[in-house]
Amino acid sequence: MTEAFPYLLQPILLALRNRMRRRERGDAARVSLFGTIGLLVGIAIFAVVFYLTLQLLDYEELGDYLVRLGLSWLFLTFLSFLAFSALVTSLSTFFLSEDLRLLVAAPVPRHRLFYSRYVQTLGQSSWMVVTFLLPVLLAVGLARCAGAGYYLTAGLTLLPFVIIPVAAGCALTLLLVSIFPARRARDVLMLMGVLFAITLIMLLRFLRPERLLSVQSLPDVTAFFATLQSPVTPLLPSFWAGESLFTALQGGIDGLHLGSLWTTALAFTILTRLAFTRHYFSAWSKAQEARKARFTRLRLLETLVSHLPLRPVSRHLLLKDLKVFLRDTAQWSQLLLLLALALVYVYNFRVLDLERIPYMSGVIKNAYAFVNLGMAAFVLSAVAVRFVFPAVSAEGAAFWLVRVAPVTMRAFLWSKFWTGLVPILVLAEALTLVSNQLLGVTPVLRVLGGVAIFFMTFALVGLAAGMGARYPRFSAENLSQVAGSYGGIAFMVLAVLFILVVVGLLAWPASTYLWHQYREEPIAPGRRVLMALSLLAALAASLATFWFPMRQGVRALEQME
Amino acid sequence: MILVQDLVKRYGAFTAVDGVSLEVAPGEIHGFLGPNGAGKTTTIRIIAGLLKPTRGRIVIDGHDLAREPEAAKSALGFIPDRPFLYEKLTAGEFLRFHAGLYGLEAPAVQGRLLEMLDLFELSPWEGELIESFSHGMKQRLVLCAAFLHRPRAILVDEPMVGLDPRGARLIKDVFRVMSRKGVAILMSTHTLEVAQEMCDRISIIQGGRIIARGTVGELRVLAGGEDEHLTPVFLKLTGGGGLQEIDEAL
Repeated sequence: MTEAFPYLLQPILLALRNRMRRRERGDAARVSLFGTIGLLVGIAIFAVVFYLTLQLLDYEELGDYLVRLGLSWLFLTFLSFLAFSALVTSLSTFFLSEDLRLLVAAPVPRHRLFYSRYVQTLGQSSWMVVTFLLPVLLAVGLARCAGAGYYLTAGLTLLPFVIIPVAAGCALTLLLVSIFPARRARDVLMLMGVLFAITLIMLLRFLRPERLLSVQSLPDVTAFFATLQSPVTPLLPSFWAGESLFTALQGGIDGLHLGSLWTTALAFTILTRLAFTRHYFSAWSKAQEARKARFTRLRLLETLVSHLPLRPVSRHLLLKDLKVFLRDTAQWSQLLLLLALALVYVYNFRVLDLERIPYMSGVIKNAYAFVNLGMAAFVLSAVAVRFVFPAVSAEGAAFWLVRVAPVTMRAFLWSKFWTGLVPILVLAEALTLVSNQLLGVTPVLRVLGGVAIFFMTFALVGLAAGMGARYPRFSAENLSQVAGSYGGIAFMVLAVLFILVVVGLLAWPASTYLWHQYREEPIAPGRRVLMALSLLAALAASLATFWFPMRQGVRALEQME
Repeated sequence: MILVQDLVKRYGAFTAVDGVSLEVAPGEIHGFLGPNGAGKTTTIRIIAGLLKPTRGRIVIDGHDLAREPEAAKSALGFIPDRPFLYEKLTAGEFLRFHAGLYGLEAPAVQGRLLEMLDLFELSPWEGELIESFSHGMKQRLVLCAAFLHRPRAILVDEPMVGLDPRGARLIKDVFRVMSRKGVAILMSTHTLEVAQEMCDRISIIQGGRIIARGTVGELRVLAGGEDEHLTPVFLKLTGGGGLQEIDEAL
């Protein structure tokens, strides 16, 4: 027996090496795009945290207090995030992963299997938190001119801080799988995770941190911090991490809290290992037994779809797509998260106080209407790349059914288009109309926004459906992979270009019209023609972006071998 | 070599395997037949150590699977019906990894690995990613992996699925040679011709219970017929053969 547990991680490392050696089409573009975005986000986080920490230096004791509180809050947020992430990841790494059938059947001791999966879970569930924390901690250290001890403490703090919630998450997963079948447990977790994320977003937003910037609300500051302070308890590892880092920031060493972190991390690891060695096989076996998943029959949906004025083929395709979507928790829970983000987006307009700038508020509001249009279109592009672009790929290995059936590829792709269009159109119109209403823009821009987003939705959904048919990935394990593929990235690039062009083509005639109306001057006939042409060009761009990709998509499907 | 005693597996109120007992002696090829949903794959997966039985005992090469799982699994080569392969590894990398799982050390494993690849006609593809393999090639690779550590017992679920006639012939020959060398083989299959041609004894499972066991001749007598082929014997024993119903339905 190859003794060391890292041996079991070999397939992951070898696969990674092979993947890098044999690059697929679009890999380089994807890496550069995501790398650049990641780097920019990292720089932005660093800059903001560096600036804030530097500003707090001016407030001496209050500044110190705020840094301390900020660190505790940061770690507290990540503690809960890590625990949830580990819960979901460990379900996959310990119970649902395909290669487990190979490893469990092999003579691999359970503790060795545990450690390999534990390390995998640790990496998968914490890389995002660590990547986010690095620029934050670096910025705090540099702004405070901290010594080398601070950076060493940061490393020594992060590792046990990450281990504790991951170990707890793994142990809880073991307990969950021992009670529920693994796939049902995954659905429950997925839903819990989404609800948790939604609550967190709502909580952070409804606290309205921007109030702190307003001088008039200064008396509220004490109450605001009182709200923040309540969940920070000395019994949580987030508190220990915050304290040990704060002490290091001041040049000291907080042995008590650092020691608490390490001893708890080791104890949690050993206890989780013991639990796994003892109960893993029973839980794994139970996970294999979940043959009959409970599901809803969705009879109401069948009745509703049967009343739609569609051809039988389209009706059946639509019904199948809707049922598959609604029975896949991972799918609709992501939509739920997107809706929560949209709600926060709209809420921002409600609390946006532009009346503070009396003379300019009208101009800013109307300019904001175009930013709003662009943002709404960008949101719907993100929804389209996640839900419409993978629509053809979602057929997966079952696509042969459609290909051998007497269904034209045109009917098939158009069915995908309409299925995606209707909900996205409702979302896009609601976003634009409600936010423009809350913003208080002029009626002309409200109408223009409503009409523009209508055509832009057609264009973006058509682009997504067509490109999804041109660059399908039937072998993808999940639909997020399809969205992140070469075609998905190409779609996002084209979508952003389209949005910029259309917003530009609409903004010029609209602003010219409003400017003349404000100054009560008539518009010259020549300029009117140019304005009309600009609006027509926006319409033509929308129709072309919708029509050509759909046609190419149908052709690509017809020529598929 | 493979001993199964009073095996029971329940899923809630449903009993998938109900008191199955089996013994496969060294050098014996034992067929395990039954209609769909009879409990074959569940039994095979319990013997492979992938499912926990509700009751019963499994011994492989003298090692109790529940008490000494590693020793028992080391003696076993398992060929599942739907094998998992790391698609992003090459055939060679996969086999080396598999060898490591069974305790084969690096210098010794290379020779054995080449031997297996050569035997299953996969040598030219040693450095190719598994994702580029056809179904039959993947099946042959799984067989390479299963024989790599020289198991004393082989557990195989549907060995011929996806293989061309040449591949199928190769596997039959390999099983015969392994059997001559004293390896016990328990083979679940729906291909009755294969079972008839290769198996020393056959167990038929239905509704989770073994309803018949013996050589092909003994089963023929049990079925009370003179049929030369195993198919009618199997259909009589399992109660399947509703040709009249098929006629009416069509």
